[in-house]
Amino acid sequence: MVSPEFSTMLSLILLGAASLSGLAGITGHRIFLRRLGICLTVLAFATQTLVLLLGFHKALPDGLSLGAYIQMFAWFTLLGGIVVWRKVQQPAPLLFASPLCFMLFAVSLPYLGTAVPLPGMVQNSFYALHIGALFSSIGLLTIAFFAGLLFLFLEGRIKGKQPMPDFWRDMPAISLLDKINAFTVLAAFPLYTLGIISGIAWAKPIFGASSSGDPKEVMSIVIWLIFGTLFHNRLIKNWKGRKPAQWTVLVFLLCLFSIIVVNTIMNTHHAFIRG
Amino acid sequence: MKNDICLVGLSHHTAGVDVRERFALADHCDAGRWALPCDGPIQESLILSTCNRVELLAAGKGDLTEHMLHCWARTRETKASDIRPYVYIHKSLEAVRHIFSVASSLDSMVLGEPQILGQIKTAYRKAAACGTTGVILNRLLHKSFSVAKRVRTETAVASNAVSISYAAVELAKRIFGDMRSYKVLLVGAGEMAELAAMHLLQSGIDEILVANRTHARGEELARQFRGRAVPFEQLADFLPSVDIIITSTGSPDPIIRAKDIKTVLKTRKNNPMFFIDIAVPRDIDPDVNSLDNVYLYDIDDLKEVVEENIATRRDEAARAHEIVNEEVRAFAGWLATLDVQPTLVELVHRGERLAREEVDKTLKRLGSGDERLREALEVMAGALVRKLHHAPIVFLKHGCTHQENNGARVSAIRRIFNLDSDT
Repeated sequence: MVSPEFSTMLSLILLGAASLSGLAGITGHRIFLRRLGICLTVLAFATQTLVLLLGFHKALPDGLSLGAYIQMFAWFTLLGGIVVWRKVQQPAPLLFASPLCFMLFAVSLPYLGTAVPLPGMVQNSFYALHIGALFSSIGLLTIAFFAGLLFLFLEGRIKGKQPMPDFWRDMPAISLLDKINAFTVLAAFPLYTLGIISGIAWAKPIFGASSSGDPKEVMSIVIWLIFGTLFHNRLIKNWKGRKPAQWTVLVFLLCLFSIIVVNTIMNTHHAFIRG
Repeated sequence: MKNDICLVGLSHHTAGVDVRERFALADHCDAGRWALPCDGPIQESLILSTCNRVELLAAGKGDLTEHMLHCWARTRETKASDIRPYVYIHKSLEAVRHIFSVASSLDSMVLGEPQILGQIKTAYRKAAACGTTGVILNRLLHKSFSVAKRVRTETAVASNAVSISYAAVELAKRIFGDMRSYKVLLVGAGEMAELAAMHLLQSGIDEILVANRTHARGEELARQFRGRAVPFEQLADFLPSVDIIITSTGSPDPIIRAKDIKTVLKTRKNNPMFFIDIAVPRDIDPDVNSLDNVYLYDIDDLKEVVEENIATRRDEAARAHEIVNEEVRAFAGWLATLDVQPTLVELVHRGERLAREEVDKTLKRLGSGDERLREALEVMAGALVRKLHHAPIVFLKHGCTHQENNGARVSAIRRIFNLDSDT
């Protein structure tokens, strides 16, 4: 079995090199460095996948560590980046995702031994579906968030007739960023819905009721409604450009708030981190 | 005597177009009438003659400048004194710096324009075909191509458009990216609008539609752009199917208004539209720009973009000059190795000869004809000579890379190894 520390260090080295190379390639307009950044990111993803398959997640007897959860989120973000890259032939979101994943891996390092105690009944395959669907949805949403932010910046400058700094010379066209946003939102919302439904279905046997007014549940439903509005308008009302980009940024920030603030500060039965 | 490089030339900086025309050498670059023959002090030569500059580059020993000027004057059937007031002369590393700067388009009338590199490549091909380039100019020209590439890649000196029509195309690329699936509608006809349409066509646009009040003129333009003419009166019907609209009519009132575009956007499912209004007075209501997914640039906006791009290129030129200076220093190191090259060759040859002689002597003493023994002795003697030569070679090359006085180093090595009297 690969030690969690070793695999984390390996991912940190690969993602660190990928981030440096990718960002240097973007700022210095060097195609070779950008390609190297993509290769290293894909290598980091492949390494992490192999490590997961080898059973790194079984390192703690009580289940996954907090560090493993953070790394799993990074893994899903990279997966989202790779899917988008292959789908639209545009590596920029993947190159922006690699520094974020590097940070996630760095943050996970002190928590590799911190167990996240779960209620006994939660540790089953349905839980894997709940977590897997939500993490893959948020991973895609992270890519949508980067594409959305980039769109808002670039579109603002084009619309406002402001000069484009040299750094942004090799950035994707705004139509392409909108396509990335459309693809990620349309793929992420059904996954998010699956995560929510699986959560509701299993809440009753585990917590005694499908809905108990828990802050995490309320927050998740609020996000789902906003996300659903975005999904509906994208699909039915042909929302394109600035509006869906702004909504995507909002949905991602709410997800971040839900994970960082609600899970750790508020009184919720999702506060597994505090144990 | 040392090998030297010399560049004599005139350009838009020093001479008006009439003078440049008078002394141009473009027609004289064929092998039979090569303006700068490799005789006298000239060992290698190259002629660059474009509409903005005439430059003669030579490598050789002795007074290259006067010889070059006389060759130039003779070809143009004039006197050297007629040319002299307009020319600049660069020698040695200054000539290297100049050719690097010219290739990188830092000396061009439009900073960063790409044509000059192609023109230098053509000039080099002609010189090579005439057999007038050698070790120095081959290296210098190849290096200038790589310096130009480095400057273009590492700086933004050539990155932003400096013409209105091209600025419009660059903006379209920022909005749409790959242009292959997009359509353009050209409304009216004007020089700049046609130029923009031509640039869009070159960047791979799917189709160009032309709407002109005079339908016959519209058809003529459509043929020119391999597009399709549409009736001007039905303009509104074609708007939903096009992505880029270039207007350049003489209409006193706007022909496209924001309220019309709102309906068009609905029909085209909010897909983005880019309006380029080159007409004065403007053809498109400025409020169009306030609509989501619609981008409008008029002639003043495009002019502003061009001015900013020119300013950016000027700023970037400072960085480009740093790259040129760095490459000139590297080239100087290589140039200096040319002075030590004969000594290095002699040193190595002497070592190899001594090794061969000693192997023969040893075999003769042993009275052995064994080929395997001969091979082993040759390998050993060769290795010994190479090891002994390593330190003096490094000593000689150190002077080249650090641009020190090579003369003293060469002289020391020649005396230590007795290269001048050993036969």
